[in-house]
Amino acid sequence: MPKLYDPTAAPKQAGAALAARLPDLHDKTVGLLDISKAKGNFFLDRVEEILTAQFQPRAIIRRMKPTFARPAPEDIRRELAQDCDVLIEALAD
Amino acid sequence: MHDGIFFEKAGIPSAVCATTEFSNAALAQAKALGLPDFKVILVEHPIQPLTAEEVYGRAEAVFGQMVEKVTGRLQ
Amino acid sequence: MPHDTPLNAELDAIEYYFEQGVTDGLPVVPPTEERMQSMLAATSRAADEVVALVPPNFGAASVEKIAVNAVMAGCKPAFLPVVIAGVRAMCDDRVNLHGVQGTTHTATPLFIVNGPVRQQLDINCAAGVFGSGWRANATIGRALRLIMMNIGGALPGEIDKSTMGHPGKYTYCIGEYEEQNPWAPLHIEHGYAPEQSTISVYCCDAPQCVSNHGSRTARGILDTLGASMAVGWSDTTYLAGNYIVVLGPEHANSMAADGMSKQDVKRYLYENVRRPLHELLPGPDGREGVKRDNLPGWLNAADDFSLIPKVSSPDGIIVVVAGGTAGRFSVHMCGWGGGAGRSELATVPIET
Repeated sequence: MPKLYDPTAAPKQAGAALAARLPDLHDKTVGLLDISKAKGNFFLDRVEEILTAQFQPRAIIRRMKPTFARPAPEDIRRELAQDCDVLIEALAD
Repeated sequence: MHDGIFFEKAGIPSAVCATTEFSNAALAQAKALGLPDFKVILVEHPIQPLTAEEVYGRAEAVFGQMVEKVTGRLQ
Repeated sequence: MPHDTPLNAELDAIEYYFEQGVTDGLPVVPPTEERMQSMLAATSRAADEVVALVPPNFGAASVEKIAVNAVMAGCKPAFLPVVIAGVRAMCDDRVNLHGVQGTTHTATPLFIVNGPVRQQLDINCAAGVFGSGWRANATIGRALRLIMMNIGGALPGEIDKSTMGHPGKYTYCIGEYEEQNPWAPLHIEHGYAPEQSTISVYCCDAPQCVSNHGSRTARGILDTLGASMAVGWSDTTYLAGNYIVVLGPEHANSMAADGMSKQDVKRYLYENVRRPLHELLPGPDGREGVKRDNLPGWLNAADDFSLIPKVSSPDGIIVVVAGGTAGRFSVHMCGWGGGAGRSELATVPIET
């Protein structure tokens, strides 16, 4: 067969490694990022409750994206990346 | 997915929750963004018609998985 | 088994592209070296120039990759500059293609072409404008859809979560019928010179056709059109979203003859497509609606009979003219919502 061209774009991002896991959640700063779809706040409310009851987190930082339709804005990403040890994001439906 | 993967790449263990309807989209997205091993935590679909209590139940059902995702072990 | 005859090789290549999952379900034209050279000769840009990064995967749409998809779609080389401009337009931040590519809603990009390029490339603006039969409309729209899939990564059922989809996901490309437009066409409305060809993108549903064959007044036609627009997205989705109205030439010219400008048309729809608040409140079984505490200050939230507009401003309605000159029909489509995090119209010049 003659040469045929590929219509797809190679993925821009090369393979990377996952972050190291934490031993536990005691005394850690937990980020909770609400993607801002309806009812996601209830989900994170309960997560926050159980987290506080089961562990002694140092802090819980709760933030909400302005819209679920785009990645989180720079300032939210920067703040959470700086201050959090672990991140939970919810809820895409 | 973009956010969760951003935080993973920044060194912060992350757990992203999405409903079961989004599992193959999430997989495709993770691959495209260079972290094919990044798996979402699947929550039962749908969410939109549920009451607040029912949504709390969804969170309870996967809380253990969230902890396991960021600590690498069952607690 | 190698095949000797060129015809068999071609058929094998068509099957190969189906198997690779890079088609829209219809056969594509295999992008061979010869076809690619012809296609790339139609632009002075370098083949490796990156025109845009296509969401959601932010794949690089180089001139070469655009050309591959254009050949596959069946484009003539002369169409390439329009496809390149279309890629730039759809990746414009205002369109929020990232959101649209992953939505469960039906909205998909509609491309509207203005200027002399319509005649140069035989882009249909008239009868059957949303239908089939014109190579330029069919293949330019198709190339752009293939690019959204193959370079952007939004494959239906995977990242593209549209619950229903609509036929515009095969191709959705029209010319505006400027010659029948009694007002300023879309590109002039957006500040371009009449002879500057442009392509605009607006993400929306499939066309909803509205008939009004009897009214001789602008208001009469707009009341019928407005009653149909009133249920866009859902019958209780108000004070939200944006819409496009594609007026058939008979309707547009009747309205202008009756003294209405394009802005008057938008304003009339904004002022008259309204429902009383009590009909729009969220339903007891959970059905969405307008929430009293979300209303802006200028509406009286305490009054159950406050008339709530369908859109939050006349600018939320785009008006263009297209379609045949026989038949008193217009169509309208619901967009993917305006404002932060939603999707707006974007217009870019076509450069040869």
